[in-house]
Parts: sequence; C-alpha cells; structure tokens
Amino acid sequence: MEYGLLLSSTPGAEGSLFAWCAFLLKKYSGMFLSATWTTFYVAVIGTIIGFILGFLVGITNTIVIHKEDNPIKKVLLHILKWIVAIYSEIFRDTPMIVQGMVIYYGLRQNDVMISSVMAGILVIVLNTGAYMGETVRAGINSIDKGQEEGALAMGMSHFGAMMTIILPQAIKNVIPEMGNTFLSNLKMTSVLNVIGVSELFLMAKTAGGAYYKYYESYMVIAIIYLVLCFVINRILAFVEKKTKGRKDYELATEYITGD
Amino acid sequence: MGEKIIDVKNLVKTFGDHEVLKKIDFSVEKGEVICIIGSSGSGKSTLLRCINHLETPTSGDILFHNEVVKNTQKSLTKYRSCVGMVFQSFNLFDNMNVLENCMFGVRKVLHLSKEEARTRAITHLKEVGMAPYINARPSQLSGGQKQRVAIARGLCMNPEVLLFDEPTSALDPEMVGEVLSVMKSLASQGLTMIIVTHEMEFAKNVSTRTIFMDNGYVVEDESPEILFNHPKNERTKEFLHRYMEAKVS
Repeated sequence: MEYGLLLSSTPGAEGSLFAWCAFLLKKYSGMFLSATWTTFYVAVIGTIIGFILGFLVGITNTIVIHKEDNPIKKVLLHILKWIVAIYSEIFRDTPMIVQGMVIYYGLRQNDVMISSVMAGILVIVLNTGAYMGETVRAGINSIDKGQEEGALAMGMSHFGAMMTIILPQAIKNVIPEMGNTFLSNLKMTSVLNVIGVSELFLMAKTAGGAYYKYYESYMVIAIIYLVLCFVINRILAFVEKKTKGRKDYELATEYITGD
Repeated sequence: MGEKIIDVKNLVKTFGDHEVLKKIDFSVEKGEVICIIGSSGSGKSTLLRCINHLETPTSGDILFHNEVVKNTQKSLTKYRSCVGMVFQSFNLFDNMNVLENCMFGVRKVLHLSKEEARTRAITHLKEVGMAPYINARPSQLSGGQKQRVAIARGLCMNPEVLLFDEPTSALDPEMVGEVLSVMKSLASQGLTMIIVTHEMEFAKNVSTRTIFMDNGYVVEDESPEILFNHPKNERTKEFLHRYMEAKVS
C-alpha cells in the first residue's frame, strides 16, 4: 500500500514528457533553483574578472616597444609580452573541461585546498582572459591611429590616451563580443560538473539518475538555460542600443550669431 | 628679428633604409607664418611630425626656446602643450562631443578648472564659427566643420606655435575656403604657424616665409614674393611651373 502511494506520486512509466518534467521540477525545485543560481554567479563572477584580465592581456599585446626606450624597460616589456603570449596560447589551445580537471586536481594534489566552485570560477576567468585578450587587442587596433595621435600631440602620454580616448571607443566596439563571451560562459559552466560544481548539469544528472529519467531531467535544464540566455540576450541588446547614443544633437542656439 | 621659438638642427629621419629627411636646419620665430610646400613624398609632413616628436628624429635636435626637447614623457608633455597640431584627418576624439573635444587638453594636460576649459572652448569655437555645434559628435559634422573644431581645440591650449599638416587636403573644394579663412584670420592675429600645404595661393598670400622641400632637403627658404615670383632653384621652378599648368588645365 505504502509502496503504491509512492509510485502514484510519480507520473508513472507511461507519464508524458511534460508530466515528468513538471514532476522533477517540483520534486527538486530547491536543487534546480540553487543550481541555477550557482550557474549564474559562477558565470558572472568568472566573466567579470575574466574581462578585467582580458583587458590587461589585450593592452599588453598592443604595447609598442620603441627602439629608443631604455634597455631595462625593453627587457621587462619583452618578458611580460612573452608570459602573456604563452598564457593566451595555452588556454586557447586546450579544452575547458580538461583545464578544469588539471587545475582542480593539480592544485589539490599540491595541498591547495581549493573548493570546486572556486576552481570553476578560476577556470572561467583564465579562459575568458585568454579569449578576451584577443578581442580587446583587435578592438584597440581597430581604432584609427589618428585618435591616439590627436591626444599625444596635445601632450597626453600613451597610457593617458589609452585610458581616455582609445579604450572607451574600443570597449564600445567589443561590447557585442563581450555579450557573446558571457553567454558562452553561462553555458560552458556545464563542463564544471566534472569537478563537482553543483551547477545545472550536475543537478540534472542527479535528478535524472534518481528516477532514471535523463531525457526529461536534461529537458528541464535545457529550458532553464534557454530562458536565462534569452533574458540576458535581450538585456545585452538593450545595452548595445544605449551605447550607440543619439543620432541627432541639439544646436546651442545661444551661440548662433545673426549674419 | 623676433624671438626664436623653435630651432631644427641637423634633423635626419630614416624609415628603414629610406632617408626621408636629410639634415634639415631651420628656425621659427615668433609671429612667423611658414608654409612648407613641395611634392608628395618630399618629406614635408614627416618634418612637421618630427617637429612635435610624433616621429622621433633619427638624429639631430629640435630646440624649443633654445632647449633640446628630450624624448621623455615629461619633456614631451611640456613641449607639446605649447606646440599644437592640426591634422589632415582632423583626429577629433570620436567618443566626445565638440565641447568635450575642446576642453579635453585644457583639463587633462594643462590641469585647469572645468570653468576655465569651458570658457576657452566657447571662445575659440566662436572664433571658428562652431559654437552652436558644441553638442554635436564629430561624426555628425562635415569635414570643414571638423577641421574648424580641430583648430579651436588646438587654440584652447594657448599654444605658442600651431602646426598644420595639410589641413585642407581631405576636404572637398567647397569646404577648403572656410578652413583657410579661419587660418588667415589667425595669421593676421599674429599666431605663429607652420603649415604644410598644397594651397599655393594661400601660401603666396598669407605666409611670411615659404619653404620648398624636395627629396628630403629644404631647397628654398624665402619670402613668398621671391619664392613664387623669382625662384632660384631649378627644382622649385619646375614644381611651380607644373602647379601653374595644372591650375590652367
């Protein structure tokens, strides 16, 4: 009798996809909710720090070493550029899932007791940094050389011109790509299940395993990913539109002279 | 004679194996309006860019009030804030509107107050007839308007010398006039200017000294009356002759 009651609470073997999805969602609502949150914040924190890293990488890549610079500065810049180049190459040429394993188990074996979430964020940061570095480099190079010259000719330093003139324009150009990177990171958090980050993929595996309903369980998270990304996409489109600015301008009529 | 502002000494500039400037010597005095003419590739733009160190001279020196301009940021900042530059491609900052463009250097390089920057910007924008457009972005302006804003931006720094690198070459004929007339009025106010140009009429009528450059050398450095009417050098004659021919046809 009791056994029958338990069974009757499930949609049963003939239950439709929708019925099972609804059942799993209800039964594991707390887990799915917390997993969605984990997915979201791992992606957000990882992406934001990754962007900062990416900008540093991109700016480093665009530093021009002049023949006239003093030798110490030249050597240091060369070393810095080398480190950045090697880092960027390694992280772009290996799969994220493998990076996750290497970083997580590598650190733990060397007595750095990093949590799986922290390791997950670290993987996303390093990945994003490597890819964004390239995007930012391209973004900076796409800004006409004259923009910097205009600032230099007034007495600004290269760094000052970079921060006030070039980067603001470059950022505007790479905003769509930044949005893409964020979306991609949000979905790529799924590979972090291999190091035990309790994000959506791992939850689906757990929930699906309990009833042997993998199709339904993954369908649930597919929809969660879809909704999440859809909303973010709309927000990004709005931000992009905002940064474009107005097409018209107001004439300062007080300065119009009658002639 | 007036007070010497800039002295170019033994200036050589090479790009790889190509020697663009070959031992250039000349000086600029206060109040002079110097036009540099010559065919494309003669080195005139490079000379101008070397004068404000956008190109680092390969050898030789630029002296500003008898002091060598060193290739350090501190020295360059001080020097460049006194020597403005107007470019062929305007180089207005695309991420700022007209007013912000003009205030930028006053705030960031001269470190003056916002009010002072604004006052200067409005004054000089009025001077070039662009004050009504303070809220416009560079992309919303015509070439001639952009160049006038660029000139106002240069003037806001209160420079001792203003350098012009082919300021009208990127403009269509209708807009050349409005820029030249602004420059003419600046010349009449006594602003020291060095102008690289292909506008021969302007050079002839406005400059106090005209320099003809060819193949990396200063070939002739004369008053415009002499240079245009009685050129001494064969190459100068040839160049002016070709120019006159082109104008007739």
